[in-house]
Amino acid sequence: MQGLRKAVLVGLGLLWLVPIYLMVINAAKVSANYGNATVWIPSDISGLWENILVALDRGRIAEGLLSTLIYSVMSPLIAVVIGAMAGFAIVALKLRRPFFWFVLIFSSTVFPIQMVLMPLFIGYVEVGIFDSRLGMVLIYTVIAVPFSAFVLRNFFSGIARQVYEAAEIDGATPWRIFFRIYLPMSKSALFAVFILQATFIWNDLLLGLSLSQSTDVRPVMTTLAAMQSTYGGSTMPVVLAGGLIVSIPTIVLFLATQRYFSQGLALGQYN
Amino acid sequence: MTITTGRPAPATSHRRGRVRQERLTAAAFLLPALALCVVLLYIPFVYTSYLSLTEFNGLGDPEFVGLDKYEEMFSDARILTSMVNTLIWVVGTLVLPVGLGLFIAVMVHGLRGSFWYRLPFLLPYAISGIAVGVIFSFILQTGGALTQALELFGLPFADARWLLDWPLNTIVMIVAATWQGAGVNALLFSVGLQSIPKEPVEAAMVDGAKGWTMFRHITWPMLAPMTTVVVGLSIVGSLKTFDIVWGMTQGGPGRVSETLAITMYKASFMLNDYGLGAAVALLLTVVTVTASLLYLRRQLAPAKEF
Repeated sequence: MQGLRKAVLVGLGLLWLVPIYLMVINAAKVSANYGNATVWIPSDISGLWENILVALDRGRIAEGLLSTLIYSVMSPLIAVVIGAMAGFAIVALKLRRPFFWFVLIFSSTVFPIQMVLMPLFIGYVEVGIFDSRLGMVLIYTVIAVPFSAFVLRNFFSGIARQVYEAAEIDGATPWRIFFRIYLPMSKSALFAVFILQATFIWNDLLLGLSLSQSTDVRPVMTTLAAMQSTYGGSTMPVVLAGGLIVSIPTIVLFLATQRYFSQGLALGQYN
Repeated sequence: MTITTGRPAPATSHRRGRVRQERLTAAAFLLPALALCVVLLYIPFVYTSYLSLTEFNGLGDPEFVGLDKYEEMFSDARILTSMVNTLIWVVGTLVLPVGLGLFIAVMVHGLRGSFWYRLPFLLPYAISGIAVGVIFSFILQTGGALTQALELFGLPFADARWLLDWPLNTIVMIVAATWQGAGVNALLFSVGLQSIPKEPVEAAMVDGAKGWTMFRHITWPMLAPMTTVVVGLSIVGSLKTFDIVWGMTQGGPGRVSETLAITMYKASFMLNDYGLGAAVALLLTVVTVTASLLYLRRQLAPAKEF
């Protein structure tokens, strides 16, 4: 019985790896060797490096990567602190109507992002942050705040009240208690939120399409979409190489932090 | 706390001042998150609702037209197709990634080295929708990898135009989404399976239940809370489908494979019909919020404790 289950899983698992196999072997073909008739057969990997360089340079992936790196580090970093502050206010401080404020912040994740795109576009143009890195960092931060507040509120509510009271008796201010006690205690939750949000921002397409334009502001997924839709003069191996470059960071991050990933997911689903 | 002595009055006012001080601090902690959400999410939300009642192309001022845009939306054949596609997405992702996720989780449950068995399914989750689109449009393009394989083995459908014919293109895109999403559903179901208490399972085993009977009468009912979460997430996620479609067909050919999320984007940003785009966004919101209530009730319920 166990043997059968293992066989089924291995078979299905191999089937699951086929698209990745096809992507890798064809991203490695020099454009001259690439043809529909031979897509299943690997040729030597000589083309991989060249295709990556072309994607980075002519496909503008390099510029997109840099912007995306900035967005997916800065925004979740700011968001976890802001979200944790909100969670702290709701759980540990004597806030009036804590549940109301919690719902108000969290509910903003319920409606689809399409609902805010057009006003954001108009507002960004008016304020002068359309097509700017500042504008992109700002919106990605906002997107990450409610989830961060949600998870950290849950985490903080598991910290004994006595911790707060003891620190207070010792004369610590709420700010000190927050930064010196609560934040360090919740490192793993903060990290889980950071990882999930960084991955989400790294993979975003829609906000990039709507709020940016120039190659040095555009996040990398939007760049890849542009490259692929018109084929932007790029051959299929180059587009696949582009897809490969943008996928490697999240896959590596995911594998390295798998524990936090599932923890974050679990925290996201459960209280 | 303050020790009250023989002079209660000043002590009380002191305490009152302290409470006010604490409330101010609490407000200061809450303010950044609240301000960001209100300014960049809630106010835009209200403005989009208003835009849906106007004729506006981005130049000049929005002109109030009442429910005209909603009428237009429900009488435009292309938008109706988009609604049908969105519905196919909802049903399709409930059957494929959720069903397969459950299957994988049940198969993996209790195996040693479960991490490794689950890994191939989880990898695609880390890949972006647009990269999934790149891979699958390469596989499914006319004469592409799939056609090659089908021809080689003499299988049927070798001449299928996977991305060109409706509703076939929507269905194959759901398959691509399944490739990306089944693993995470499996992971969530696995968490659910692990949290099932041992006693009823053992009791049922003593009674001779195993295999399908065990699953049907013990495991499945006890998995219900997690199933609600996975189904809720799946419905809400599929309603918002954008990236994979954008990566594979851009909603084409023509506009036959659009989902509502794509239709909204095209109406607003490509056709400059902000009012229509807003109306589509609002429709999407109403449906999504309704679906969200399915699982949000669960998430928010325990929060009422404090």
